[in-house]
Amino acid sequence: MTPRPGSRAASVTAAVARPVTPQPPARAPAGSGQATRQLTLGGRTIPVILPSRHDPRLKLSVVIFALQILGQTVLDFKVSIAQILVTIGVCALVDAAVTFKRQQVLAWPASALLTGNSIAFILRASGTRHGDWWSLHGIEYFILAALMSLLVKYLVRPGGRHRFNPSNIGIVWVLLVIGPVHVFPQYLWWGPLQPPVIAALVVIGLGALWVLRAVQMLPMALSFLVPFTVLIAVFAAAGQSFVAIWQDGAIGGFDYWLRICASPELLVFVCFMMSDPATAARTPAGRCLYGAATAVVAAGLVVVQPTEFGIKVAILSSLTVMCALVPLIDAIARRPPTRLGGFHMRGVLALRPATIAVIILSATALAGTAALAHDKDLIYIERGLTGPRNAQ
Amino acid sequence: MAFRGCPAERRAATLLGSKRDVEPGVRGVRRAASALGLLLLLAGLVVGADLFGSREALFGAATPPPLAAAASRSGAFHPVGTSPGSTKTVLRSQAWWQEVGRFQGAGAKRLPAFEISRDAIQWRVRWECPQGRFVVRKSARAEPLVDASCGGEKTAELTGQGSEALQIAADGPWTARVEQQVDVPLVEPPLPVMSAAGTRKVATGAFYRIDQVGKGSVTIYRLASGGHALRLDDFFVTANIDLEIRLSPLRAPRTTRQYLSVPAKRVAPLDITAGSMNFTLPDGVDPARYRSVVIWCPLIDSAYAAATLEPDHAS
Repeated sequence: MTPRPGSRAASVTAAVARPVTPQPPARAPAGSGQATRQLTLGGRTIPVILPSRHDPRLKLSVVIFALQILGQTVLDFKVSIAQILVTIGVCALVDAAVTFKRQQVLAWPASALLTGNSIAFILRASGTRHGDWWSLHGIEYFILAALMSLLVKYLVRPGGRHRFNPSNIGIVWVLLVIGPVHVFPQYLWWGPLQPPVIAALVVIGLGALWVLRAVQMLPMALSFLVPFTVLIAVFAAAGQSFVAIWQDGAIGGFDYWLRICASPELLVFVCFMMSDPATAARTPAGRCLYGAATAVVAAGLVVVQPTEFGIKVAILSSLTVMCALVPLIDAIARRPPTRLGGFHMRGVLALRPATIAVIILSATALAGTAALAHDKDLIYIERGLTGPRNAQ
Repeated sequence: MAFRGCPAERRAATLLGSKRDVEPGVRGVRRAASALGLLLLLAGLVVGADLFGSREALFGAATPPPLAAAASRSGAFHPVGTSPGSTKTVLRSQAWWQEVGRFQGAGAKRLPAFEISRDAIQWRVRWECPQGRFVVRKSARAEPLVDASCGGEKTAELTGQGSEALQIAADGPWTARVEQQVDVPLVEPPLPVMSAAGTRKVATGAFYRIDQVGKGSVTIYRLASGGHALRLDDFFVTANIDLEIRLSPLRAPRTTRQYLSVPAKRVAPLDITAGSMNFTLPDGVDPARYRSVVIWCPLIDSAYAAATLEPDHAS
């Protein structure tokens, strides 16, 4: 079921999926609430679309920025302010330039700012130390992730719609292609349950309610969390364990479940990355199916991983794979499976370049994540035995 | 089902997904760009999945190539990489000096040939002579590698690998040691006195991290002679220079500050940071008065790792 035209959900979806509407260029998208101005430059009038305070992306940006501030001050995030700013800046510049070229408007790059912020929130360059606020160490990896995110967003558009969550595809691609020697994702464990981590959990919890209610994604988040936590509990009971650079010895038993399922990183992933209405399923039923299916794929990829790096990439890759399958999920949610077929399925399977690109990117996420399970180098890194060769 | 966006979205020009009517030339460029884009994505798939070791070839590995550990610090020398019975390992130690040969003579002498490992970082000659000059050449007519005045112990560091034969010229008696610098772990067998009659294990412990990674185990022996020896097994600590093994009265120090709160006893320098090694405790040190072994870095005042000593009741 799609939101009724004019409803709050419809306007929110429009705002997120279509940041600017070029027809006519001087007007903001209907229902988005975005303020529009005009800029005269050399006798040429250029419409300027400013941010709207009703835009849920602004809410999400506030939450991520709050977490970034905690990360820079009390949570020991190994990312510098310079890395964050450059990543956001690259995304904003590319997005604004593309929008101007295509639509002749200067639009506030709300989506790109969020993409850049999300990349800098999750991606880490090995060797960056907490507190080196102006370090540009490994900045090339952040820029690569930012460019990959936006290139895929603008160039891989089967059916005229970008398929992948931009920050997710950029991060996954860089983590897998560049590899654990140079980059790694933010740790699952943010520290002992003391005021800094409690503050972060409060920000995530309140932020999740604030953002997810606006985009009607709370059921989706629950449909991910419930099966995922159950499956991880089963794996823990079956004796699964993993090694992580921040802990001596293997993490198994109840700790296996706790470190994965109670991780602030997992909550950020579910509440602020999976919940992007532009790349999630469109209908309420589809979103629940999308959440549950992502949980199953994530758990399936997690179960073979002996390292924290592998587990984190597995969780992120599950979204890459499921984003590729969103049209299928939408179709299943709209019709009984037995009635799928004919024209619609042929459309999904038509091997146009964009569709091939989607398949290759999904295969990269799946094959790359599976390969991490056998990466001996990664075991040495996570056990801290590589010394100065890897300063994760 | 094919996703069908709104008309505005369908109008959006996309390189890989556009169906707009375009000029044939532009269409050709787009097709070429699409093909190139897909090829790049395929390359990403190959590298991302690390097929054919492509990621390692492009971006390197965290671990170096496996090498055999060294079997001794000195004496019965086995060149690195050929130590009998030692398993190859990717672990690396802080660089340390392994003795290659020890020589002495008076006046001119040609040293027997020795081998510097391919995997050595560098090598050096350390000599002592009371007076005059000390000259080292590769052959009688070659340019001197070392030409220095005598007096005290002196060192010259040299590069190169493989077989070396040195010609020494001095004005009087001299002693010389040749050493190579390596970074492989040292795996030496326990000292014979550790299994001799009258020797007993007094304590054991497993290392845990404090400020850096620390792994492996420690065993302290009371020797029949009344002295004590300490052995590290399967040991690894984050490499740094000038590390020390210390004994602390604290049972399980968890932070550098906690460790520093009580005086500790330095028992040995730790020049090798990976492997299995033996140390003799200084006379007068009674391990029974201490409850943990701490790896201390005096350079940055940091407790790297520690092991709680548990009394060994088995022996």
